[in-house]
Amino acid sequence: MDEYETLKWGEVMSDHLQYLEEKRKIDSYFEKGYQIVSIFENLSGTFVDFVTSNDSGEREIVQLQLLTAESRKYIASKLIIN
Amino acid sequence: MADLRISFAGIKSPNPFWLASAPPTNSGYQVQRAFEAGWGGAVWKTLGEPIINTTSRFAALSFNGQRVAGFNNIELITDRPLEVNLKEIYETKKRFPNHAIIASLMVEPKQEKWHEIVKRVEDVGVDGLELNFGCPHGMAERGMGAASGQVPELVEKQTYWVKEVAKTPVIVKLTPNITDITITAEAAVQGGADAISMINTINSLMGVDLDTWNTIPHVAGKGAHGGYCGPAVKPIALNMVGECARNPLIDVPISGIGGISNWQDAVEFILMGATGVQVCTAAMHHGFSIVEDMLDGLNNYLDSKGIASIMDIVGKAVPKYSDWGDLDLNYKVVARINNDVCINCNKCHISCEDTSHQCIDMLKNENGEPYLKVREEDCVGCNLCAIVCPVEGAINMVELKQPLPKMTWNERQSNIARFKIDKVAK
Ligand SMILES: Cc1cc2nc3c(=O)[nH]c(=O)nc-3n(C[C@H](O)[C@H](O)[C@H](O)COP(=O)(O)O)c2cc1C
Ligand code: SF4
Ligand code: SF4
Repeated sequence: MDEYETLKWGEVMSDHLQYLEEKRKIDSYFEKGYQIVSIFENLSGTFVDFVTSNDSGEREIVQLQLLTAESRKYIASKLIIN
Repeated sequence: MADLRISFAGIKSPNPFWLASAPPTNSGYQVQRAFEAGWGGAVWKTLGEPIINTTSRFAALSFNGQRVAGFNNIELITDRPLEVNLKEIYETKKRFPNHAIIASLMVEPKQEKWHEIVKRVEDVGVDGLELNFGCPHGMAERGMGAASGQVPELVEKQTYWVKEVAKTPVIVKLTPNITDITITAEAAVQGGADAISMINTINSLMGVDLDTWNTIPHVAGKGAHGGYCGPAVKPIALNMVGECARNPLIDVPISGIGGISNWQDAVEFILMGATGVQVCTAAMHHGFSIVEDMLDGLNNYLDSKGIASIMDIVGKAVPKYSDWGDLDLNYKVVARINNDVCINCNKCHISCEDTSHQCIDMLKNENGEPYLKVREEDCVGCNLCAIVCPVEGAINMVELKQPLPKMTWNERQSNIARFKIDKVAK
């Protein structure tokens, strides 16, 4: 795993701010051309693996852990839209 | 003037309001007075081998000044010989040929017992039969009522025995004292039932006296579980009616019973799939004359909606009753406080702060006066504040249009299934 990105509970004040932060990350990966390769869910939330290829053709994977219910909805809604 | 007549499994009635099988339908005197008052039908107090009742029999729950919010009884079926009841049914039917008289029946789960009673009651001209598979106390200990109504095979078999000889429509009255009422409803349909009715009373113990430690009610210092009914059970009954109405295997009319106290309750049951309703507790609380308001209210409601016949609204809300997995997760409502109406009692703040999502702020305006405001971005739209608010219209739940498309839980799961891998988070 190249990057393990997670947000710590309590780092931000409210669920809503937490959601905005998670949404910002989701949107930014999509903007940078990342695609979802896998989603898995467990007691700790939803884990989304994004993948992109860099200039030299190497695959780069980042994993985002979604903690809020709103972003767990958002990620799945994005799958409908995209 | 809307047409309030119903045809319930072929049973005709001048309106959808029937008295349920219970003390209000104990005798010809009572049923005839009820018909004079305006009731469209009556399900006679359950006939069977005459029983012996205890004193006392009833207890009720008063809640915050509302008398009889819930009602409990340990009464059994009729304590009068069959011949006496049959004579009075005959006389009542003769006087009121256009009203519906249904004989409620309960005998031991034996074919010959059912055959015998069905023939005898049909001979006096009843319009239909209701099989009481629901009484939760007393009779159940003798293998009847809820005891046989909780076993799908017995429901099916007994319904079948009745249908072998019955010439009039057979309604099976179901017990709510079961995990999934659609199972016994299906069994009744399998047995050939022409209709089902629900609910009978719910197992209950009304209370314990803090001084004597006696149960409420008690009989010489001892108690036994009873059956609960009245306004408190309405949501339970309405769900059971709805669950049966939307089940394609239960394709017979439903008579709705349980906590119906006014025309609005009746309309809710009818919208949720009932073709008519039965009432017991409200009549015991207020007398037969409550049917006048029910008839007026129902008539005005239909007229105001431009609906010609009550039969036109039967089941109209059923398609809206769905499964949780089919609800739109991207639909969003939030609470909004109308400060012009709010009396600043802070109940909403306390409930949200202590038991919901801490998003009602107590603020001060430029004059230093307190006011409350919902932080809508943090509000999960749970409705709690609006529920506890004592002032009508002070909190409105408003829909916020969402940029995201409709997505149910089931749709979400199938969407992400494409990307799901069987993996454990590190
Ligand atoms: C005192 C009492 C006696 C009852 N007896 C019978 C009965 O003999 N047969 C029957 O099918 N249901 C009986 N019931 C149940 C009612 O018919 C009805 O199903 C139940 O009370 C729910 O309606 P409600 O909330 O309008 O009271 C009785 C209910 C009460 C309160
Ligand atoms: S709807 Fe629920 S979360 Fe929103 S303000 Fe009211 S109590 Fe709080
Ligand atoms: S509960 Fe209702 S009346 Fe009381 S402060 Fe809240 S909005 Fe105002």
